[in-house]
Amino acid sequence: MASINLPEQQKKGESDMDAIVKVTNLKKYYGNGEALVKALDGVDLEIERGKFTAIVGTSGSGKSTLLNMLGGLDVPSEGSVRIGNQELARLTAEQATIFRRKQIGFIFQNYNLVPVLTVWENIIFPISLDARKPDRKFIMEIVNLLGLESKLDSFPNQLSGGQQQRVAIARALATKPSIILADEPTGNLDSRTSDGVISLLRVTSEQFHQTIVMITHNPEIAAHADRVVHIEDGRIVADAS
Amino acid sequence: MLANNNLKICHRLMWREFRFHKGCSILLVTALTLVSMLCTFSFAIGFMVRSGLKYSYQIQYGSTSHILYYGLNSVQAASVARHADVKETVRLKVLGLLSDDMLGYRNVKLAVADDGWAAATEAVPVSGRMPEADDEIAMDELTLQSLAIPRKEGAKVQLRWTPVDGGEERVDTFYLCGWWKSPMGYTETCAWVTPNAAGRLCPDAPDYLDLGVTLYRPRNLDRQAQEILREQGADKVPYTTNLAYNRARRQRMNEKAFPFYLMNIAVVVCGILMVYNIVRISTVQNARFYGRVKSLGMSPRQIGRFIVVQAAYLCLPAIPAGWLSGFVLYMVTAPYVLLGTGGEHPAFLFLNPAPFACSALLTWFTAFTACLLPARLVSGSRPAEAMKYTGLSAAIPAEDRSGAKKRRCRVPFMALYGIRRDKKKAVFAAASMCLSMTLLCGFWTQYISTDEEKYMREIAYCDYLIADASTANSLQRYNPASHSVTPELIEEIAGQKAVTAIGTVRTMEIPMYADEAGRAPIVESFEGENEEGVVRKAYMSGSPDWVSGYEKFRTTGEYIGIASGIDGLAESVILSEGEYVEGVYDAERFAAGNYVIAAGASETSFVSTPPIGSSVEIGGRQFKIMAAVSYKGHIITGADSREAAFNVSYYMPVQVFEELFPECGIRNVLVNIDHNSQKEFEEFLSKKIRDTGIAVKMRSDYQWEFGNALFHNYVIPIFVGAVLFLIGILNFANALVTGVLIRKKEMAVYESLGMTQLQLRRLLVGEGLMYGGMMTAFLVPAVSLMTWLWTGWWAVYSASAWCVTWKYSLLPMWIALPVLLVLVMVIPLGCLHMIRKESVTQRLQIVE
Repeated sequence: MASINLPEQQKKGESDMDAIVKVTNLKKYYGNGEALVKALDGVDLEIERGKFTAIVGTSGSGKSTLLNMLGGLDVPSEGSVRIGNQELARLTAEQATIFRRKQIGFIFQNYNLVPVLTVWENIIFPISLDARKPDRKFIMEIVNLLGLESKLDSFPNQLSGGQQQRVAIARALATKPSIILADEPTGNLDSRTSDGVISLLRVTSEQFHQTIVMITHNPEIAAHADRVVHIEDGRIVADAS
Repeated sequence: MLANNNLKICHRLMWREFRFHKGCSILLVTALTLVSMLCTFSFAIGFMVRSGLKYSYQIQYGSTSHILYYGLNSVQAASVARHADVKETVRLKVLGLLSDDMLGYRNVKLAVADDGWAAATEAVPVSGRMPEADDEIAMDELTLQSLAIPRKEGAKVQLRWTPVDGGEERVDTFYLCGWWKSPMGYTETCAWVTPNAAGRLCPDAPDYLDLGVTLYRPRNLDRQAQEILREQGADKVPYTTNLAYNRARRQRMNEKAFPFYLMNIAVVVCGILMVYNIVRISTVQNARFYGRVKSLGMSPRQIGRFIVVQAAYLCLPAIPAGWLSGFVLYMVTAPYVLLGTGGEHPAFLFLNPAPFACSALLTWFTAFTACLLPARLVSGSRPAEAMKYTGLSAAIPAEDRSGAKKRRCRVPFMALYGIRRDKKKAVFAAASMCLSMTLLCGFWTQYISTDEEKYMREIAYCDYLIADASTANSLQRYNPASHSVTPELIEEIAGQKAVTAIGTVRTMEIPMYADEAGRAPIVESFEGENEEGVVRKAYMSGSPDWVSGYEKFRTTGEYIGIASGIDGLAESVILSEGEYVEGVYDAERFAAGNYVIAAGASETSFVSTPPIGSSVEIGGRQFKIMAAVSYKGHIITGADSREAAFNVSYYMPVQVFEELFPECGIRNVLVNIDHNSQKEFEEFLSKKIRDTGIAVKMRSDYQWEFGNALFHNYVIPIFVGAVLFLIGILNFANALVTGVLIRKKEMAVYESLGMTQLQLRRLLVGEGLMYGGMMTAFLVPAVSLMTWLWTGWWAVYSASAWCVTWKYSLLPMWIALPVLLVLVMVIPLGCLHMIRKESVTQRLQIVE
């Protein structure tokens, strides 16, 4: 893999140990009465800037719900989520959307590419929404790193699962977000491709000094991360660096 | 920092969506084209009906100008023309009035040729030209016919006319240089000469002209006309205002057009349902798409723009296609809706951009609303929820939550569960079908309930109404001295085997006087209010001549009475079968010749004649009023004088009438025949009256008018109802297709678990039949009840109730239901065949 020189993500005066994400007493309940489901039941978590953090848990443990809360894709029943200096609960729906496209990069299990846009257009889609000019040099470096040079004019339905996931990774990186949230990025991939994707995330985290939070149910995949947080029944039960 | 500023990406995204989903896009564009077509058609017809009525009022008035001032001098005319409210003016320099008796009721002015006035009054020569030489004249065809002048350039025209300054009648010779066809209703027209000719004919003519004024904003014409004059210091100048802007007439115009505009509500509702149902095929994908783009940072404003652009892309091809097809439909039906446009196609005569603009607006509204609905499904959801949207109710019905019941999972139960899951689909399809079926059944019921025999009995008091030549045109004033209908002709007609009854009507206008006692009941009635609280005389506000005649009667007691001598069939129709307001008709005493029967208004709810038992003097003889009968206007053809617009008719035996007015001719002859001999009798009658100038309204004319009215009132709505019904069927079929296509993966799961093809078919057919059965169970009572209530009300209370024999019918529904039941079986099976082209594993991998 080619190495890339990138602008530092870190701001002056901020250290590596600063928490980029701070979660306090986060709760998310669905339904009521007998049908009450406690997806998150009081989660406290801090994620350091520039680190690759994996959140592991079995199916139904609340890890996807936690990720959705971190990304502002859902609202908590109680508690708070702060990204950088921004308390997400204080934002209106429109502000949250705009904050998300500027500050947060998503990598979904199902890729969630826009089927009618080409690979290149998918990569720069959040930037286009923001009316910003894409940093072509930077994006091409990511494209080269991810091996997508020959696929830029293709449509998602012309790509394999692994290629689609790499496009999703490129899209997440292209906006130079504060944090990348990856929801089971290897869930739909074979083991070989999975290894490749995880390696890319690892490299990304190191070389771009990118904060990445990944959720997975696979401890082996989680082992690639700097820190592994275990969640069960909506609570953090272990936290290993 | 949190600004939201790029909307261009939305346009690109929408364009790609449009191209990528061509099939769905074509379907949507087709649906919107239908909406645009129907809206264009019904608005255009409505506008045409309104404009046609306005045109007919303008014809009656004789000009398109808003106000006509008479007798202004040129300084005053120039000053009026400069008034801030005045848009344009046309001038008429009148030299005099043609005074030939043969012109009858029509006023023909000898005037200096003026292109502007000619255009405003439809008096521009279409054959030949306006006069250029001093001895040339251009005239209208009716005047040429009345004066027996051939329509040939250079034909000699000898005119008797009276100068406008009151000089002696004179005769002058001209040569015809041009002519035109005056609209049939015009009672005034001009004969054009050059300015030099005018100078020669009237060297000392006063500075006197008529001025036609068109305002920028015609509102209250009387007030505006007076204001303009007041500002010129010319309050005494006589004027008239255009009937087409009279409030009562404008109301009538709007009432006539309203039903066509109303149809558009049904069109838009059905259109929204149809487009939405098409969009619903991919509702889950659409909702998840919105969730996806929200998660990537597309703001609500950008999503809003996306929807607007989506609607715009659909409307861009649909609106012009709808305009074109709607216009073609309008062009084909217009001649059957609007008659009497003098050979010009009514579709082009009243073409207006407004219907197209209204249609575009409604089509846009339909498209936008239907495109908005899927986004609204997830508008309140967070992106995480939206990305998982399934469109199916997550709530488990209470009875299914109980674990105690352990049912076997059989195909019929699965079919029922499948339907219960997607109630919205069923509701939308049912609503659309119910609306369109009710409209179609309602209009069909109205069509078959309109009774031709009843119509003929009310409109045509007899099979044939023969009219004197001076009353061939409805606005021609009857000339009592005309004897075109002779006693010999009547004898010949009466002698025909087919004739079962015959009678005659003679009339004479006479100035009469009513004292206080005579006036009182009439004035009380017209000044009083009817059941709706409206002053009765207000209904006549659209007829200024009636108003002026009534005021004269009310203040001075002077009025015009119309003495009518009647016999035979005329007597039975008017008197024996008449509706009496007061008093009783005694045929024997009537025949004795000392009594008359009075008739005022055609209402029976109030008295509009002098009191029963009072005396009136007619032709120097005294008669007692025996009774008051409701006036039957359709018996008499042609017009009476303007002064007789307000009148009271007095019926007397024809022998008495002939004693009083021996020189008076026969105005009308009423004839009834054996209908089996209609064809032969009409051939005989047509031959007899050829080239005599006598006019006849035949039974076949009434039948044609009935057919035309039926077409106008019901066939067009039936057509619109049929198209809406087709839209309803498409909605229904679409709902069936959606129900299978969005469950590709579900079907694959069933197959992977061992469900055979036969079982799958049974499942879908079972679902279809249950769906069809539930639809039928809903539609039959709902449509029956709504149609029964609507047409029941219509048969009793509507303006058409007088010619209706209510025949409640649901025939369109009984034809449609078997079609629906076939569709519910065929469509799901067809869709299953389509989706099974993909393998089970391929379908299992689909992210629904």
